[in-house]
Amino acid sequence: MTNSTSTGHNADDSIISIEDLSFSYDIGKTNTLRNISLKIPEGRVTSFIGPSGCGKSTLLRCLNRMNDLVETSRITGGRIEILGQDINAPDVDVIELRKHVGMLFQKYNPFPKSIYENVAYGLRVQGVRRMDILDQAVEESLRKAALWLEVKDRLDASALELSGGQQQRLCIARTIAVKPRIILMDEPCSALDPIATARIEELISELQDDFTIVIVTHNMQQAARVSDQTAFFYLGELVEYADTTTIFGNPKAKQTEDYISGRFG
Amino acid sequence: MANKFQSKERRLFGVGIQGWIKGFFSGNAGVSMGVIFLIFLFLVFEAVRFFPDHHRELKLVRRTGQEYVDFLRREARGYQEISSYTNQAYFQELDARFGVQRGLVDGFEVLQGMIEDGAEPEIEALAEARDVSDPVALRAAEKRYWGRVGEIVDSAERSSVDSFGRLSTEESAWQSLLQAARRYDAVEEETPDLILAAEARTESGMAEFRKAKTMISSAGSDLKNLRDRLVRIASATRKDAETDYSLGMRKKALLEGSGKLDGKAREEQIAEAEALKVLDQFPFEVRVQPIIDSHDEHQKAVEHLKEQLKKGIAALPTEFSSEASKKLVMKIREAEPAYLEALDQSLEEASEWTWNEEVNWSSSVSRFFLGKEWKTASGGWRQLYGFLPLFTGSVTISMIALCFALPFSIGAAIYVNQLSSRWERSFMKPAIEMIQAIPSIVLGFFGIMVLGNMLVEYSDSPWVSWLPGFPITQRLNMLNAGMLLALMAIPTIFTLCEDALNNVPRSFSEASLALGASRFQTVQRVVVPAAISGILAAVLLGLGRIIGETMVVLLVAGNRIAMPDWGDGLGIITQPSHTMTGIIAQEMGEVSEGTLHYRALFLIGLVLFVVSLLINLSAQKLTKRLGAHV
Ligand SMILES: Nc1ncnc2c1ncn2[C@@H]1O[C@H](COP(=O)(O)OP(=O)(O)OP(=O)(O)O)[C@@H](O)[C@H]1O
Ligand SMILES: [Mg+2]
Repeated sequence: MTNSTSTGHNADDSIISIEDLSFSYDIGKTNTLRNISLKIPEGRVTSFIGPSGCGKSTLLRCLNRMNDLVETSRITGGRIEILGQDINAPDVDVIELRKHVGMLFQKYNPFPKSIYENVAYGLRVQGVRRMDILDQAVEESLRKAALWLEVKDRLDASALELSGGQQQRLCIARTIAVKPRIILMDEPCSALDPIATARIEELISELQDDFTIVIVTHNMQQAARVSDQTAFFYLGELVEYADTTTIFGNPKAKQTEDYISGRFG
Repeated sequence: MANKFQSKERRLFGVGIQGWIKGFFSGNAGVSMGVIFLIFLFLVFEAVRFFPDHHRELKLVRRTGQEYVDFLRREARGYQEISSYTNQAYFQELDARFGVQRGLVDGFEVLQGMIEDGAEPEIEALAEARDVSDPVALRAAEKRYWGRVGEIVDSAERSSVDSFGRLSTEESAWQSLLQAARRYDAVEEETPDLILAAEARTESGMAEFRKAKTMISSAGSDLKNLRDRLVRIASATRKDAETDYSLGMRKKALLEGSGKLDGKAREEQIAEAEALKVLDQFPFEVRVQPIIDSHDEHQKAVEHLKEQLKKGIAALPTEFSSEASKKLVMKIREAEPAYLEALDQSLEEASEWTWNEEVNWSSSVSRFFLGKEWKTASGGWRQLYGFLPLFTGSVTISMIALCFALPFSIGAAIYVNQLSSRWERSFMKPAIEMIQAIPSIVLGFFGIMVLGNMLVEYSDSPWVSWLPGFPITQRLNMLNAGMLLALMAIPTIFTLCEDALNNVPRSFSEASLALGASRFQTVQRVVVPAAISGILAAVLLGLGRIIGETMVVLLVAGNRIAMPDWGDGLGIITQPSHTMTGIIAQEMGEVSEGTLHYRALFLIGLVLFVVSLLINLSAQKLTKRLGAHV
């Protein structure tokens, strides 16, 4: 098994650094993630691939500590550093962490509020009250999420009236309104049709100038299209991590080759 | 040609097994719906007949003149209130200004009694000795008498009986009273100078006030006498009219029944019917005449009352030693103009009153729904079925209960569902839901024996005595009942509320948390708004439970049928009250079927049913809205 810990980039430009991480949903039972080490470079798109149940979502949710919601879960070994800070250190405020590490979910989940309120939400909970600041942030975020032209005349309409693809782009706008450094995306297109998917992929390419993006996907072409690096996971372990072109053109591990060529998974 | 797809199912009476199973379940559903419908029909059928009966009753009240007499009764009632305030004010003031003197007079009376009882043989002996004038025997008798008196007074001094309470802080007055008692000669029965002086001082000091008091208390005597006379006349008329009516009914029944009999039996029954003396038309006109004729007298009595009352109130003092007395007199002065105006108005209505005017159908309805008094036939004078105080009581108690239940149940639901750890959740939820297992009779018992006493005992501590209606004087009141009902509503609201919160998709709160919102912000800005219709539905169903609850309010609410005294503002919550459910439970057992009273109770039952129905329907509507949006 070839565990690569480097992608050819310098360790310096990595924004996320995972070292020998093990994680369990129920301490005392088996580890869902085992000995994962991985450095994710800043300003790039990194994709996680692997068969269902191998722990991609779990790892992603470790990065913004969403797993805190599962009471019995624990990091059983290793550490995660983001921007050079151990995110599980006792003096880390998870709220501050999440402001820097945004997340997009598999099923688009806008709040049952207006479009405007959805985008403004992150700023409102930070205590921003001034309407001019909010207005500006909402417009800017919607423009970046390529949604502004479609919704600018009905910002007060309910978010639930939008189409699925629009709702997912609204969720992107909502996430970038907070100006995170990193955006985690867990299969963001799996509930969308090919055209909506294409638009999101386009968006991801545009966003990578401003954000570091980590994306989980089951769609090999998508991983190949959008990402700079790809990590392949199998049964809770990192099998191979390299430039996307390498992974898809010249995989080192047999399992990777089998998986991307569709022989299992 | 045989059907290829013919059913292979076995059939019974031409119906397949599937059909039977379906029939069984739909039958069950049908029966429950049918029962609800039947109950509703029964309620409506019994209840709406209240209105014609009520109309007949109102007509009778008018024909007999009872309605007129009620003017006088109302006039006298207001007057009696003022008069009783005056009395209270007088005695408060008396206590404050001449407490010591009163203590001396009362205390002496008690001591005097003790001496007369305790030294009876000695007194007799002394009286006899004085009569025979034998110096030796006299000296012996006197010695024994004074010795005995000394003992009695000593023991009184030691025990310092309650009756001397007024003097408990007045040591010197107390001593001089004892001194006077020691010298009291029970044969001569001469009141000591000390007591006479005290009486004289009180007398002269309070003379003015007493004069005013007497003026006020005698102001209404003419009116009261007239009222009593008219009450007797109208009551007699009413009794005769009712007897005549029921005889008439019986005669009619006998005559109708005789049609089914033959020969001798028939003749006998007809004869029996004929023997019943029924008036063709009850002579209301004649019987009501004395009441109509009394109008002049009535007018004079009221004029007299007004004049005397004005004078009396004007003569009340303006300076007081007692704060309580001052407040009472102020209350009297404030109430005076309104009362005088009410008198004028009542008199005017009385002069427009006619015994044979038709009774409006609408008043049969409005006097029930807007009536403020509830008096059943057993109460004597006349029956009154005013629904308003019962409704007000039920609503007030429910509101109190909601005020207590809402923060607890919704707060607990939010905590358990959103903020608690799994371990806390595992015992909190069952524990709160367990409250439901307490039988309501046990809660009622607790309310009477524990909560009621606690409220009375602790409500005058300085922490809480500033609250409206505090300190509480009555153990059984709306606050007490409301608090217990809140306890009963908490599990209902909690459970439904928790369900509503649970139905909010996890993805909402995850999205919020991922955007850097705190747990609390997430609850407040996302989860609760998303669950709000479910929460409102939970509150409504809790309200439904509270309104329909009977046992607790019957035991604990105090069962006083009267409109709350709005003058207390929010303090009305510590007043006792009766309720819609309580009155049915209390009185249904003793009414005879078909009476007006019986129908009035059914009508209340119908109102309750409709109210609960509306509450449940709106809760269902709200729940549907929640379902649609998730
Ligand atoms: N909240 C949880 N509590 C306990 N076990 C969990 C939880 N979430 C996931 N798991 C388990 O952890 C393992 C990894 O799950 P994870 O969701 O990370 O897989 P995945 O790679 O994202 O799969 P998929 O591609 O199907 O989304 C699975 O075996 C799953 O059953
Ligand atoms: Mg997943």
